[in-house]
Amino acid sequence: MIKKIISIFIIIFTITAFTIVENSKYKCMIQMKNYTGEGAYVVISLLNPEGEYEKTLYVQGDDEEWYHDITNWWNFHGKVRSDIDAITGATISGGNRVISIIEIPNDKINKGYKIRFESAVEDQEYYKDDVEFELTSESVKSKTEGKGFIRYVRMIPQ
Amino acid sequence: MTISIWRYSHLTLAISSFVFIIIASVTGIVLAFEPISNQLKPFAIQNANTITLAETITSLKKEYEEVVSLKVDENNFLEASVITKNGQSHTFYVNPVTGKKIGDLIERASIYKWTTNLHRSLFLKSTGRFLVGFFSFLLFLITITGSILIIKRQGGIIQFFTKVVKEDFKQYYHVILGRYTLIPIIIITLTGVFLSLEKFSVLPETKISHNVDFSKTFAGKKLSFEDFDTFKSIYLKELKSLEFPFSDDEEDYFFLKLNNKELYIHQYSGEIISEQNLPWIRIVSNWSLFLHTGRGTILWSLILMFSSFSILFFVYSGFAMTIERRKKSTLPKNKINKDKAEFIILVGSETGSTFGFSIALYKALINAKKSVFIDHLNNYTSYKSANHLIVLTATYGEGDPPNNATNFLKLASKIEQPNLINYSVVGFGSMAYSDYCQFAIEVDAILNEHSKYKPVLPLFKINNQSFTDFKEWCIQWSKQIEIPLHLKQEVIKPKKQHAFTVVNKTDLNIDASFLVRLKPAKKLKFISGDLLSITPKEDTIERLYSIGKINNDILLSIKKHEYGICSNYLNQLQKNDMLNATITPNTSFHFPKKSTGVILIANGTGIAPFLGMIDANYKYIKTHLFWGGRTTESVELYSKQIYKAYDNKQLSSIHIAYSQEQKEKIYVQDLVSKEQDIIASVLKNNGTIMICGSIAMMNDVLKVLETISISKLNTPLNLQQIKTDCY
Repeated sequence: MIKKIISIFIIIFTITAFTIVENSKYKCMIQMKNYTGEGAYVVISLLNPEGEYEKTLYVQGDDEEWYHDITNWWNFHGKVRSDIDAITGATISGGNRVISIIEIPNDKINKGYKIRFESAVEDQEYYKDDVEFELTSESVKSKTEGKGFIRYVRMIPQ
Repeated sequence: MTISIWRYSHLTLAISSFVFIIIASVTGIVLAFEPISNQLKPFAIQNANTITLAETITSLKKEYEEVVSLKVDENNFLEASVITKNGQSHTFYVNPVTGKKIGDLIERASIYKWTTNLHRSLFLKSTGRFLVGFFSFLLFLITITGSILIIKRQGGIIQFFTKVVKEDFKQYYHVILGRYTLIPIIIITLTGVFLSLEKFSVLPETKISHNVDFSKTFAGKKLSFEDFDTFKSIYLKELKSLEFPFSDDEEDYFFLKLNNKELYIHQYSGEIISEQNLPWIRIVSNWSLFLHTGRGTILWSLILMFSSFSILFFVYSGFAMTIERRKKSTLPKNKINKDKAEFIILVGSETGSTFGFSIALYKALINAKKSVFIDHLNNYTSYKSANHLIVLTATYGEGDPPNNATNFLKLASKIEQPNLINYSVVGFGSMAYSDYCQFAIEVDAILNEHSKYKPVLPLFKINNQSFTDFKEWCIQWSKQIEIPLHLKQEVIKPKKQHAFTVVNKTDLNIDASFLVRLKPAKKLKFISGDLLSITPKEDTIERLYSIGKINNDILLSIKKHEYGICSNYLNQLQKNDMLNATITPNTSFHFPKKSTGVILIANGTGIAPFLGMIDANYKYIKTHLFWGGRTTESVELYSKQIYKAYDNKQLSSIHIAYSQEQKEKIYVQDLVSKEQDIIASVLKNNGTIMICGSIAMMNDVLKVLETISISKLNTPLNLQQIKTDCY
């Protein structure tokens, strides 16, 4: 009897272990350009192969009042309103850099998924894809130049 | 002239910016709570000047898998961003010695976020920031003009912090608080302006650029970073932040920010590969932020909060003063031309109170069917039909002219008059100033020298806007010019009247005195020594009577004067008649709540408040009563109450002087002089002496008290111990 229960548990455990997709941690550094003005809001999101928002990975900027300035992301997040407290940091001022740890599910690598960094500064432009690249085993340890407030983004697996 | 410019600017600036200033102050008060509440949390780094960066890094490295960055925040808390041994990424406050987590990051309460937005940009983003910066600058100008006004008022920069003469609550504290908060407000406004400017790229470019040459590869021995000399030589008090190298790549470096410079440090050798000092503007910016927000210090936050409260008070008191001044300063519209008038009244006033007197005189002359022209002193000119000139003027500061009289002296010596004019000058002032009525003296002198002017009366000075004194002048003057004048005091603000019922009224005694007992129709708060002001309809002049409070009733002791309008009115009152009057608190003449001994000295009807005080002396404070009357019959009006109080031990001794009972007159001061021991012991034990009655009696009593104090106690009389209410 006891043996049966144990074996059932083992089976359940092995099934769940294989169905839960592992996340991997990546160290991600955002280096800003020398712009003047307020600190920038930078949102890191995971996009599916169709280019739709899948998940918010990190938010630099903790004052929710300005979130609607990050228009594209807000259209996604504003509806979902998932809890992002644990993945929220401060805004990044011009010339500064910030290092954060982001988690990406392993099954999104090499599958056409993209990572997007969009940036906005109070009373200045909004860049919907300041940095954006496809997630591959190569790109997650690379350096990518930005088009807007971001000079470059570097990532390495943790 | 100069004074009015400063005052004018002070007011104009205040009017144009007060809405913003109120918003900024109220939000400022709210925001001041944030650094205070943060500082009350136990996360601040202790001994920041003895712990080296190397020590902290070593303990952090032991405690965690990886350290991403380290930061000393504005509250002086050490914030570490780490990856824990089980691979979790976290940011929290750590103990710099043990490296252990001591608390989660403080999340800014949304009230502070909201208030900060309102405070710095009024929710208008850039436009708002500009406005706030601009009004902050205006507030700075208001502060400067305010200081200049204080300097003028006190008579020079050196006197800036000398005693301020207390005339009015609002005015007094406007000046007093203004001096105390001058420096903090200048700091708040200038840093505010600076912080706003920063956002508009008008300040010089402050970006630091580091040049690093990574062309040579590192060949030496890799050092463990806790052994870096740089880290060993830096203490936590200098640290702003340290970012650890992003990866093992040689081109990744330690990025160290100190209070005054930024460093790149090689992650293998520990050598400084780039070092840049912070530009001064960045340092000013840091200081501005600190001074403006009070971050990290409770004391400064409290000062900032106090200053914000003061600013609100300035707005209130400033406008209240302006409105009062406006009300007072309007002269009546002249009905005739200046060249047709026989009487010319010229007024000089800074704060406006002299206008009330001038208007009273103007109306009295009009009622006497005279042709009158009234004007400001600065508008002095020639008057073709003038026969009389009356100048009523106050003095500003140290003998300066009031702002509507600044040109008068120059004009008076220049302008010729066609006819000979009779003149009289009335000076208004306060004996508390050393230059009492100085400007009036100068006006009088210049008119005296003038060939076309002839004095009717010598210069007449009036202290503290006494209407009685002004009436006195008017009587003298009207005698001289042989025109009967009936002067009515301008009732500026009718106070709220209360209804009272007459409970009892005694018949006139031998001295024509009587007692009236009044019951307030509604419950009123008052105590013995307060004043009851009764304004008869006949002459609209307010009379003040000292109140004796007995069983919540008001007891008045009144002497009937043959022609006294008010005393006759009160004398004809019958039981159950109604009467309207106002109670004015008179805190300077209340019976002490605690005392080692009290001496009450009165003559005639001045005993009334004392009857109430004795009646309420349930603490049995040792109290001695001295009273002076004319005859033994005079005291009968009060004797029942006095002796009852004596039997109840509410009075310790009674001393009565009769001036008419024996050959030589004995007055109350003679009794005081006789009972030197009682007086001296009360004075010595820091007791209180209260005097109520005629001014003549008070002066005589004070002389006697002074003599006793000097002869028995070897010290001049301490006026703090004396309370008077005399008329």
